Amino acid sequence: MFTTGFKLFFGLFGAFVVAALIYGYSTGGDSVGPLSLGWKGAVGDHIGYGLLLALATASLMISVVLVSYRDADADAQARLQNLAEVPTDSTVTASFWPVSASFGVGAAVLGLVLHPLVFILGLALVVLSLIEWTIDAWADRATGDTEANRALRNRIMAPLEIPIFGALAIGVVVIAASRILLNVSQLQAVTVAGVVSALILAGAWLYVARPGQSRRLVRVLGAVAALGLLLGGVLAAVAGERDFEHHHSDDHNEESYESSSEPSEGENFG
Amino acid sequence: MTLTESATADPQVASAATAVTTSTPGSETQTLAQPFVTSDGSAIGRLFVMVSLLWAMFAAVIGALVAFGRSDAVEPAEVFAGLNAYFRMWTLYRVSLMLLVLLPLLLGVAMVVVPRQVGAANLAFPRAALAAFWSWLIGSVIMVVSVLAGGGWGALDGVTRNEGDAMALTLLGTGLVIVALLMGTLSLAATVIALRDAETSLLDVPPFAWSMLVASAVWLFTLPIAIANIVVVYADLRGRAAIAFGRAESPDIWLQLDWLFEQPAVYLMAVPVLGIAAEAVSAVLGTRFGRPEAIAAIVGIFALLAVGGWSQDYFTAPQDLRDGLVYVAFGLAAVVPVAALIGALGMQATQNPLKPQQLIDTRMIGAAAALLVLGAATVVGALRVIEPLDLLESSATWAVFHGVVTAVFIAAVVSMVHWSSELFDASVSKRASGASVLLVGAGGGLLVLSDLVSGFISEESDIMALALDGSVLLNVLNFVGSVTFALGIAAIVAAVAQAMRVREAAEATLQASTA
Repeated sequence: MFTTGFKLFFGLFGAFVVAALIYGYSTGGDSVGPLSLGWKGAVGDHIGYGLLLALATASLMISVVLVSYRDADADAQARLQNLAEVPTDSTVTASFWPVSASFGVGAAVLGLVLHPLVFILGLALVVLSLIEWTIDAWADRATGDTEANRALRNRIMAPLEIPIFGALAIGVVVIAASRILLNVSQLQAVTVAGVVSALILAGAWLYVARPGQSRRLVRVLGAVAALGLLLGGVLAAVAGERDFEHHHSDDHNEESYESSSEPSEGENFG
Repeated sequence: MTLTESATADPQVASAATAVTTSTPGSETQTLAQPFVTSDGSAIGRLFVMVSLLWAMFAAVIGALVAFGRSDAVEPAEVFAGLNAYFRMWTLYRVSLMLLVLLPLLLGVAMVVVPRQVGAANLAFPRAALAAFWSWLIGSVIMVVSVLAGGGWGALDGVTRNEGDAMALTLLGTGLVIVALLMGTLSLAATVIALRDAETSLLDVPPFAWSMLVASAVWLFTLPIAIANIVVVYADLRGRAAIAFGRAESPDIWLQLDWLFEQPAVYLMAVPVLGIAAEAVSAVLGTRFGRPEAIAAIVGIFALLAVGGWSQDYFTAPQDLRDGLVYVAFGLAAVVPVAALIGALGMQATQNPLKPQQLIDTRMIGAAAALLVLGAATVVGALRVIEPLDLLESSATWAVFHGVVTAVFIAAVVSMVHWSSELFDASVSKRASGASVLLVGAGGGLLVLSDLVSGFISEESDIMALALDGSVLLNVLNFVGSVTFALGIAAIVAAVAQAMRVREAAEATLQASTA
């Protein structure tokens, strides 16, 4: 009668309502305020209380939609498609998100002691993983057909995943590359950038010229390059940037740069 | 000609190849990514088994060093560069044996075996089980590294600020390890309760599955209390200067958590021993136990006596709790179910004349040894709660602990032999596993004996004895016991590694034949 998705979101609705009530009372609400949505009396902190109630409302609406449309009910969908038999494949597909959540928890644990930023990144990874995990779990039971489930999952998540992960990947590349280039001297930075660009160009040319290349080899090379960039970025970030010398003239402000490793005046622009 | 006949002359590899080809439906192809993404409960169970065996080697080495450190040959501070470091290793040895070795080892075996026993195609919540494994692994690495970096569960000789931070990491790592184990436990319990064959009642499931279900309940009742303890300690530690926890006379953190390693809570590790022993003996004899409900009741009673969160005595005066009737009754009563099972299995074994092959079967020897050592541990536990003997705060506490650890490890070896085809798709060497049982049994026996005798001889309460009171002989026996125990662990690790090599060879054979 009640579908799995309905149970999940209805449970979330209940949890958010309780959380809103507790939050309302614990932040200065009076006896009736949080219960009457602020119609009679104070609700305490308006922002937190309102946010939790908004989440509760959204969860309730989603749960109603899910039960109305018989979401993840293979029987109902089979009847709709006039299938003679209900597909019964309930394989739990392989997923990276449980491991990702574990690493997120590990990072959060480390961050509690080492640095708040690590803690926040860990929590963000946990939240992201839980969302993806939830969608995977839902998709596995959406129909009785594994292929259809995968297509459904991708139809929902790909429009979000591709831009978000793309932006994240670009961000990581930009930050890591910039840390490396800012760590080495000016001349070395130009050299590194030139060599890496040439390597990318050569690799792409080879890939196009010889389409029979092993895809596995290309993947391995890509993974090695990504890991190298990430590792180099982290090491460079730990080592810090080269020294920048700022000169201010009377006529106009102009920055000059000087590498700490090659402190010759000839390299100054100012 | 079959696939397995064509490519190898090694009968072990051929047999493993057959096992690989007929393994569970839905099992995935072995790839480098598999440990990170698998939803196959058996694969996750194997990961738990492999990594916990590696941790077992680590714990055994630490244990041997600690025993060496308190022998008369050297001073503890000489081996570990300071009294605090000795204390860190002393506690790490105990915590890692329980949380990094025995509980995950049993959990791993159960994740492979129990779903098949109850007729389930896979574990319930396999993704949660995968998250449990990785969280356990990450937590265990954080815990061990932070201890090695100067953290740990308290100190004897003051701490610096950095050591205080490392202690906080140790606590968080320990908490993460326990949460992860509980997550795996939930997955396992849900499998027995919800996914078992529709026509099988709970009392009809095989003894091992039943014992793991009951053990899961005990773990779920007891371990969260340790987590609550850790939260309290962590809040205290981060809320004020770490030096407050480093008073030389007050290793407070450990004193808030040590109840987990003392009776009755220490018995929570041993509940599955009863199930493994019952199944191994029945399998060797080739007969089913006539009264399975009796086995279920015995296991249930023992599990009940292992629920131990209530025995946390840090916040009360110890004499109020540990001299109380309930504590004494739990200590005395724990002997009964173990003795009952020994009696029941003994009667079953003597119904028909035993053949020589049955008598020397590793599973039979191991099951008998595990039950006898566990029985000895519960007897020592019973002696410990008898007030006139004055053993409560003595090293007899660790005699019980070592007895339980020895029994559980032997039972784990028996399970790896008995279910080797399910666990490894290849048989575990009987010679190496037999040697492991004997070495672990002998080493554990020496540890129990030296700790117990020292407890009797000791004139002062000193539960964290830097040297066993009594004589040089006891300390030497303790060290020899630790080394023998470590050798026993090394033997089973070698046997499992050999089985895994056979499995890999079988897979290679299969791939070559397919190609």
